[in-house]
Amino acid sequence: MSQKRPGVLLIGLGVLAFLAVIVGAWRLAVTIDDTMAFRAPTRSAPAVAETESGAADQGWTPREQALADEAAAQAEADRTKPYVEAEYRAVPRIGSRVAIWVVAQLHLLFAAFVLAVPMFAVVVEAIGLKTGDKRYDDLAYEFTKLLSVSFSLTATLGAGLTFMLIALYPKFTNYLMSVFSPTFLPYVLLFFAEAAFLYTYYYGWGKFGPKLHLFLGIMLNVVGTGIMFIANAWLTFMSTPSGVSENGALISTWDAVSNYTWMPINIHRIIANLAFGGSIAAAYAAYKFLSAKTQAERAHYDWMGYIGNFVAMCGLLPLPFAGYWLAKEIYAFSQTMGLTMMGGAFSWLFIIQAVLIGNLFLFANWYLWLAMGRIEGAARFKGYIWPLLVIVIACFAVWATPRSIIASTEEIQAMGGSSHPILGFLGVMSAKNTAVNIIILATFVSFLLYRRSNIIKTTARGAGIVKILQGLLILASAAIVIGYGIRGYFVDAATRIGFSVPQVSSVLFCMLFVTMLDAYLTRGAQATKTQWGRIRPISQYVLILLAVTFTWMMGLMGYLRSGLRLHWHVYGVIRDTSPDAFTPTLGYATKVVSSTVLIFFLMIGFVFWLAGLSGKKVGAEEEEQADAVANSTLGFGPAGAPATASASNTATASAASPPPGNRP
Amino acid sequence: MKIPITLQIALLAVGMTGFYTLVGQAVPQKEVHPPEVIEVAANVTTAELVEIGRTVFEGKGICQTCHTIGKSGALRFPDLQGIAERAARQRPGYTQLDYLAESLYEPDAFIVPGFVAGMQPANRPPIGLSDVEILAVIAYLQTLGGAATVTVDTKFVYTGGAREQDAAEAATEAVADAAGSEDEEPSDLASGEAAEAEAAGDRAGGDDG
Repeated sequence: MSQKRPGVLLIGLGVLAFLAVIVGAWRLAVTIDDTMAFRAPTRSAPAVAETESGAADQGWTPREQALADEAAAQAEADRTKPYVEAEYRAVPRIGSRVAIWVVAQLHLLFAAFVLAVPMFAVVVEAIGLKTGDKRYDDLAYEFTKLLSVSFSLTATLGAGLTFMLIALYPKFTNYLMSVFSPTFLPYVLLFFAEAAFLYTYYYGWGKFGPKLHLFLGIMLNVVGTGIMFIANAWLTFMSTPSGVSENGALISTWDAVSNYTWMPINIHRIIANLAFGGSIAAAYAAYKFLSAKTQAERAHYDWMGYIGNFVAMCGLLPLPFAGYWLAKEIYAFSQTMGLTMMGGAFSWLFIIQAVLIGNLFLFANWYLWLAMGRIEGAARFKGYIWPLLVIVIACFAVWATPRSIIASTEEIQAMGGSSHPILGFLGVMSAKNTAVNIIILATFVSFLLYRRSNIIKTTARGAGIVKILQGLLILASAAIVIGYGIRGYFVDAATRIGFSVPQVSSVLFCMLFVTMLDAYLTRGAQATKTQWGRIRPISQYVLILLAVTFTWMMGLMGYLRSGLRLHWHVYGVIRDTSPDAFTPTLGYATKVVSSTVLIFFLMIGFVFWLAGLSGKKVGAEEEEQADAVANSTLGFGPAGAPATASASNTATASAASPPPGNRP
Repeated sequence: MKIPITLQIALLAVGMTGFYTLVGQAVPQKEVHPPEVIEVAANVTTAELVEIGRTVFEGKGICQTCHTIGKSGALRFPDLQGIAERAARQRPGYTQLDYLAESLYEPDAFIVPGFVAGMQPANRPPIGLSDVEILAVIAYLQTLGGAATVTVDTKFVYTGGAREQDAAEAATEAVADAAGSEDEEPSDLASGEAAEAEAAGDRAGGDDG
């Protein structure tokens, strides 16, 4: 009985509150006519046409009369005020463009993360399903844990962006809506489907059959990619419009969708999202590693960080090639736009990009070299690290060398032009293409050494010859890249541009065949244990630096893609006539990018924190699992191939353990 | 004192973004503004038109994004040094003015051997120059290897006039007609017109040659 009293009391209070609201609303409805501002007070509202004598009859003073006339004039002006559709509205202090810029970039960053994580989560889950090793399933779940809040933030930022576009750029938004209105319903339906698949994938973990659950994950990727494709149509149309007349009148919605840069952006974004999402997941693992209290936790998050970084590198290596395609399509759409990008207002942006990509490769290699410390047999490869470091730094330096140099008039005269007499030769495309291909090759060699480091003895037939063949392939690829690079100085531009194809092809061919040979070589090999968690903490800071750099580069390249339109909302069709129609300096743009990146990390930190809260109820069983990981050979590759005896044992042990306690 | 992990990571992120921001400040800084409306008075001289043309060429026309003046080697678009002289003989049947006008209004109509199509019509978006601005650019181009001859009243086929070559051919026909009619009824006016037409024909032929 005593337990029921508070409940009855609450219900009673609720009823009273409800009645109070009803009474209040009724009273407001009754009194509203007397208090609304548009109703003129009885005393001070003479008609406009009221004569002075009439006013005099009423005993008004001249001041009262003047006030009444003023009020009447205002009322008349309000009544007859014409409706003028606003073209732009301003945001105080920062301006409309920066407001939209920041919100759009944040939305894109979260969307990229939400689209990327399911891609590798499903792959990791599939590996777990195929191998029967439950730890892969657990890892996939841990990646997915980051999705739920991120999805909400993506949707919130997307809604914010839409409202801001409508409020700040109403006329232009209205135009875009008129062109793309047929795409809205599919978008909304796909969005609902994405939410349904995401939440059933996340909350259904362990509740559905493994194959059905994997199917949900695959469908999550399919609809997520569909959403991205639709949104990409809107933004690529703005840069490379098609399907409309010169005046902007719609001719074909499909042509507007499938404009020049639509598919290149689709592919570029899938790969870039993978790289970015992997790096953010690795940063999460790094944060958890650094905060870990036990060796078992460190082992688990070391492994997670390694996988995240592996995914990021898998995305990073083919990204420049997707970038070439995108640039080619931009040139195909408009040579002017292409030259504005590479030789005009944005040419110096690529120097900043070179610093970023150089750092990415430097950090990626650094992490791999540090990661070799967790493998017992890695010491024999330490001698390779210094030469590789020299190669990476040298390529980085070449890539970041500008063709022309900022110099005083005297300095330019002394140099005989804006290009340095010697260094200027490193600033041209031949040198830069060579540098980027060699840096990719060097990173691949680092990865190969990492994979090899725990192999004690190979059992493959003809192992010696295979190793020599691998070495020759790498050297031949490097020779082709350097050879074409040098020859590029002695041929015309059209021929020189064509040289990038054999350069890129040789590197891709080399990576593919050397990996295949390596898989043959390490199959059934005798391997040492990988001591997960036994890695220097600085490696985790490197993972965070990678994530910051990836994020910053996405911000910078987003600015480039959008900024290329110059003073056009839709290039060549709808002109930007707002006060923000100018293209800001790179210095200003980088400040906005940095601010956005810091806001993103603040928000993703919140996501990490929430994800950490959901892991607080980790049971003893999971800690045991993590202990098992600490001494296993897990990973994507022979440095942790789960094909060895120890991995099989741990897999059996994990399979026997119950699901973790933190599952919904 | 041990710095908390969260703070360490935050400092790292701020430091790294700070570094990239600094790199962004170190490169040349240039704001690109939308092109301004260029007013061309009805009574500008040819010399003034050339100056206006130069301004359009270097700014609103974004010609320098692709074209160079006085550079050789592997170029993406033709170098414009000496274009006035080349334009007169580049395309058979075209005078200098016809060729330059067509290059700006219909750039894909003729592609200089060794180059690929890629230029956008100067009178349409995104460049969108007015007729008089294009006329000013032509005046400026005429000074690159020659002397400007156009005035603000010059008309060509895209602005309601006739092609100079057509005009020359018409003049030649007029000469022939005049010669045929001399036997019947000689006229000073006709002789005068024929002389003018002949002179025009010579000019056009010289330009094309």
